[in-house]
Amino acid sequence: MSISIALTKGRLEKQTVAMLEESGYGIEKLKDKGRALVFPDTKKDIRYFLVKSNDCITYVEHGVADLGVVGKDTLLEGGKDYYEMLDLNIGKCKFILASLPEIDLLNKVGHIKIGTKYPNVARAYFNQKGMDVEIIKIDGSVELSPILGLCDGIVDIMETGTTLKENGLVVLDDVCPISVRVIVNKASFKMKRDEVMTIIEDLERIVKKHAEGNQ
Amino acid sequence: MNQIRIPFGMRDILLDECTAKKQLQDRIEQVFRSYGYREIETPTLEFYQTYENAFADAQGDFDDREMVKVIDQDGKILAMRMDMTVPIARVCASKFSKIDPPYRLRYCSSVYKMRQAFAGKRSEVSDCGVELIGLDSQHDIEVLCCALDTMAAFGLEDYQLEIGNSDFFKQACRALNLNNVQTKTLADLIDRKSMVELQDYVAGLQISDQASTFFIELPMLGGQPDVLNKALAYCFNDELRQEVDSLLHIYDALKELGYADHVTFDLGKVPHLDYYTGIIFEGFVPGVGHSVLSGGRYDQLLNKFGRDLPACGFGVKLDYLTEVMTPEPEPTVTLYYPLSKQVEALKLARELRKKQPVKMVVRENGDVEVSK
Repeated sequence: MSISIALTKGRLEKQTVAMLEESGYGIEKLKDKGRALVFPDTKKDIRYFLVKSNDCITYVEHGVADLGVVGKDTLLEGGKDYYEMLDLNIGKCKFILASLPEIDLLNKVGHIKIGTKYPNVARAYFNQKGMDVEIIKIDGSVELSPILGLCDGIVDIMETGTTLKENGLVVLDDVCPISVRVIVNKASFKMKRDEVMTIIEDLERIVKKHAEGNQ
Repeated sequence: MNQIRIPFGMRDILLDECTAKKQLQDRIEQVFRSYGYREIETPTLEFYQTYENAFADAQGDFDDREMVKVIDQDGKILAMRMDMTVPIARVCASKFSKIDPPYRLRYCSSVYKMRQAFAGKRSEVSDCGVELIGLDSQHDIEVLCCALDTMAAFGLEDYQLEIGNSDFFKQACRALNLNNVQTKTLADLIDRKSMVELQDYVAGLQISDQASTFFIELPMLGGQPDVLNKALAYCFNDELRQEVDSLLHIYDALKELGYADHVTFDLGKVPHLDYYTGIIFEGFVPGVGHSVLSGGRYDQLLNKFGRDLPACGFGVKLDYLTEVMTPEPEPTVTLYYPLSKQVEALKLARELRKKQPVKMVVRENGDVEVSK
């Protein structure tokens, strides 16, 4: 049976496509995209499409895509109606809590405001810390919000930490690690189990190979 | 402003889609009737506490975010029914107290869950199902046969009924003395086949290697029936082996009844631990991204309403299925007539309607005329 895979476009796209290529999939059309949106595999009965990360979950939850490749950051913030079967170990970064050095946020008495693009992640983190905070949704340049006094701190993704440093923010705590995951539609896993497992196992081999190469 | 919008998650179901849905409903209800189930209707609105009483876990927690709530004149919270099983449990514990079980009940009603906005999901769906109340797990096979016959009645080229048993997981947790939080966390990770987090979490549990392997393999213990034999290898005590044996027994019976091609298993199916107490099953068809039939054994539910009776049942969500159904054409004849001969035409139509539907169309000139 034919399989559809939703890939997250942008930052993660190149690395994901490289892993598929290494697994022996026919991804030539994905490398030379032009204006197309749907790309048939040149070797196997698979079609790929490129979507934004949030949409990746939506396509998989509805079963329009059987599999999706998407960052854990998006998964933590979105729905949960899928199987999360594999860590591709790429696109690695983490969620952190940061603030200006003079604010002792974790020991502050009184009302605390947190700016973030990821309100669910922030809420879960502070809930587990036993802290009641107000969360303010910010859509871009989250680092700006404590500097301008909108918030006491931020929960955001950190890759290198350069942006934080340049804005004079310090990391107070790691919230959780992030990497790229493979998610599977629940019904697809039942109706196309063999096809889905073949792809998962192919990718898993490459993940293991890379892990051994890094040791 | 013209108020023409409908609220999130609601649908108008029109023409062919509506026809397909009603035809499907007829075929399903025919199967339910053939198993001796009697129809019941319950009110659209229940008290909030009815659901809280039914769904709250051992800690009294209850996720009511999806419930559609209404306030009555006395300020009490009402809930639009989220399912039909809970109202039926309430009825059996109250209105049927003078009738001896078992009760075989069927329903076809709208149920309501407020879904996430802009996600393309439905907040109102038609739920058609049966509940077999008062008979224990020895009768699971009867309910499974009914589910399989129901799926055959969909009239689709393929369908799969996937069977699990949450006791398999619960037995393992009990044997290892895992606490409530650990059990719940494990169940959630296993049910979502969240393999990465599961491995991390199991590593932190301080249980034997054998037990760790059991939990890590559990989400993948699904597929064709031979997986049950594979599962036996991971069982670390006799209670677990007995659970697998009982599923093997179910499979043998279903095979003898000719259902083998449509049955698969998933031992990693462990949703709603506080609700399901034994077998649990879901039906899938090609082209639909979620289960279209779901059910299981819930021996504790009636107890919460003050009557201790075992129960097992399932429901079909019609709306997900109608997306892949084409309605069977309903042959209609068209009767053309000029207004001057209306009575004559209506007389003829009355005769024709005894055989099939008649659509009447006025025309300027000519005579009364029937066309196929």
